[in-house]
Amino acid sequence: MLSESRSDSLSSPFGEKASEDLEMGNAERHEADDVAIRVQGLAKRYQIFDRPQDRLRQSILSRLRRFVGASSRNYAREFWALKDVSFEVARGETVGIVGRNGSGKSTLLQIVCGTLEATSGEVEAHGRIAALLELGSGFNPDFTGRENVYLNATLLGLEHEQIRDRFTDIEAFADIGNFIDQPVKTYSSGMALRLAFSVIAHVDADILVIDEALSVGDAFFVQKCMRFLRGFMKHGTIFFVSHDLGAVVNLCQRALWLDKGEIKAVGNPKEIAEAYLADMVESQQGAGKIRATALPTPSDHTSSTPGGGKDQRLGFLNSSKFRNDIELFQFDPRAASFGRGGASIIEVQLHDSAGDPLKWCVGGEGVTFRIRCFAHQPLFSPIVGFWVKDRLGQALFGDNTYLSHLGSPLQLESGQLFEATFAFHMPILPVGDYCFGVAIAEGTQREHVQHQWIHDALFFKSYSTSLSTGLVGIPIDRIELRVLRD
Amino acid sequence: MIRRYPASILSLFSSFWAHRQLVWQLTKRDVIGRYRGSLLGIAWSFFNPILMLGVYTFVFSVVFPSRWTGEGQSSKVDFAIILFSGMIVHGLFSECVNRAPGLVLANTNYVKRVVFPLEILPWVAMGSALFHAMVSLIVLVSAFFLSNRYVPWTALLFPLIIAPLVLVTMGLAWFLAATGVFVRDIGQTTAVITSVLLFLSPVFFPSSNLPQKYKVLMWISPLTFIIEQGRNVLIWGALPDWSGWTIYCVVSVLVAWLGFWWFQRTRRGFADVV
Repeated sequence: MLSESRSDSLSSPFGEKASEDLEMGNAERHEADDVAIRVQGLAKRYQIFDRPQDRLRQSILSRLRRFVGASSRNYAREFWALKDVSFEVARGETVGIVGRNGSGKSTLLQIVCGTLEATSGEVEAHGRIAALLELGSGFNPDFTGRENVYLNATLLGLEHEQIRDRFTDIEAFADIGNFIDQPVKTYSSGMALRLAFSVIAHVDADILVIDEALSVGDAFFVQKCMRFLRGFMKHGTIFFVSHDLGAVVNLCQRALWLDKGEIKAVGNPKEIAEAYLADMVESQQGAGKIRATALPTPSDHTSSTPGGGKDQRLGFLNSSKFRNDIELFQFDPRAASFGRGGASIIEVQLHDSAGDPLKWCVGGEGVTFRIRCFAHQPLFSPIVGFWVKDRLGQALFGDNTYLSHLGSPLQLESGQLFEATFAFHMPILPVGDYCFGVAIAEGTQREHVQHQWIHDALFFKSYSTSLSTGLVGIPIDRIELRVLRD
Repeated sequence: MIRRYPASILSLFSSFWAHRQLVWQLTKRDVIGRYRGSLLGIAWSFFNPILMLGVYTFVFSVVFPSRWTGEGQSSKVDFAIILFSGMIVHGLFSECVNRAPGLVLANTNYVKRVVFPLEILPWVAMGSALFHAMVSLIVLVSAFFLSNRYVPWTALLFPLIIAPLVLVTMGLAWFLAATGVFVRDIGQTTAVITSVLLFLSPVFFPSSNLPQKYKVLMWISPLTFIIEQGRNVLIWGALPDWSGWTIYCVVSVLVAWLGFWWFQRTRRGFADVV
């Protein structure tokens, strides 16, 4: 799980820090200060042997054959877990890796940490790396938690006295009680994670590498880890794998999408997460493109003129500076979307309870959300849904038409227009940017085909708020503060 | 491309020095861990050699009276002690060699999940074997003192005699630990080889007992020289054969280096296999 400043292009893992410092010119050192991890042309090949003897045969016979000049026979099938992967992670940056199972994420992390050797390419890591790879990282199952803490921290480069000084903190962070003196093999996976995370949180690492590990922690501990990670991000570098796209979008400054051992995209985590999600859905139900047939334009079907929305603030007499003013923007039908294309979403609007489209609304007021769709093909049991996301892409709330039409599914002919409406009270939102995502699918909640999924259909912005805490506010029926007498 | 683990003679010692704390912790854990859960705990490491020596004394003085027909005079207790001194040396060697092929395999977590200085694992096995040898030695010297009322001062030289054996054993342990990862059959063969070595070394009889034409056979065993010299200093109170010892030392460093080199060159493949 660790290593002192490591660089594979240099030869010595021991005492290399000293030699590195000596060898490194000032310019180079300056560069090293900016880059935490540099990966260049990395490739990893696994040789898969049908029989264990073949491994021996491969290593000895092929060398012999080459030695006598004969062509060497290959006994192995090759599997390239990584192919020509290059990227850099700057000091202090948080980078998330997304990708499907088997795409090479864990292999990449292991090579960066130095537990796995690359077949070709270079990896440089500057600073002390602490890693949480899979479950129970590097614990010896027969040793007690306490012994493992000392062992792991020693491996991470701490002196015995330093570990002793920090042990109380480590124990408190892990919070596993008397289990600390039990062998690690008696731990649940959650406890092992707690202890492992606690160790890497207390060793002054420069770079944290985390592989999927947090998924077994309970909510309380994950919150604790998140608080720690957010603090750590201020000065340290984090490199992590997660299937939780929300966490990637939430924590990372940059995301890296690995697909079949290659980097498919690097960039803004929100965009990467959306592209990745789209790719997953498409590959599950077969790719499809939204049909290029002429869509009826929104104006043909809406009675109100664009921009003629009603300002709900006018009717809000008890105004104060805390009123939750929300400005709505226009629906963009060309916004990034994916799906099979059997139906298109042509209009998305927010209305007031009287049915007039809104340009502004106020948190806490009743509103109606309308999604108008066009069927390109006959549809049986369409489901239309929406969700509201905050700036980080976290879904705050949302719903769909599935349950309400369970008994009487709608049947649509090709070319028909249809509309879903959701009437609800707009929650009170903290100041910031939000958006509605909308989608139309066909089938059931569990098994369905996405016809069109629009990530960011309708943006809106909250300008001021009465909200004191939380992601969304709900109307509080009664708030009282009074003195109680016996 | 890519990282080559240092395999020079210097790095053989520098890696040990750099990780001495870790070696110490792991060795301590290894020794204590062996008796964890037993009622007598670490006291077993004393009882074992005492019981062994008791059994040998009984067998070779009562059941099957024997005399060490080599140099020097011999009492009844002495035969068991002479035997025991050979057993200690053989035990040190065979414990390390038998454990070596499984060292890396038993610690897959250290291979796959952490950057662990794997080359210290044989040191840990050696440390714990040395501890047991030391306890046995204390028992041996005490028994010698009880029966003879003196201990030759040359016994102090025993660590010097053992030192080159430690290096040879380490070399073999590195070689076996690395090869055992790829060829699992190695683990089965070492047990056979070490028991054969027990009879190819002068443990039960002095090498002078063998007819001339078989003597060569005995010098195949790396233990023969060490056992004979060990008895010289421990029991006969004679000085060791210094020139032989010097040659043995040079060879032992080479063996250690070769084993270490092999380990460092092959370890890149460990993570792919375990």
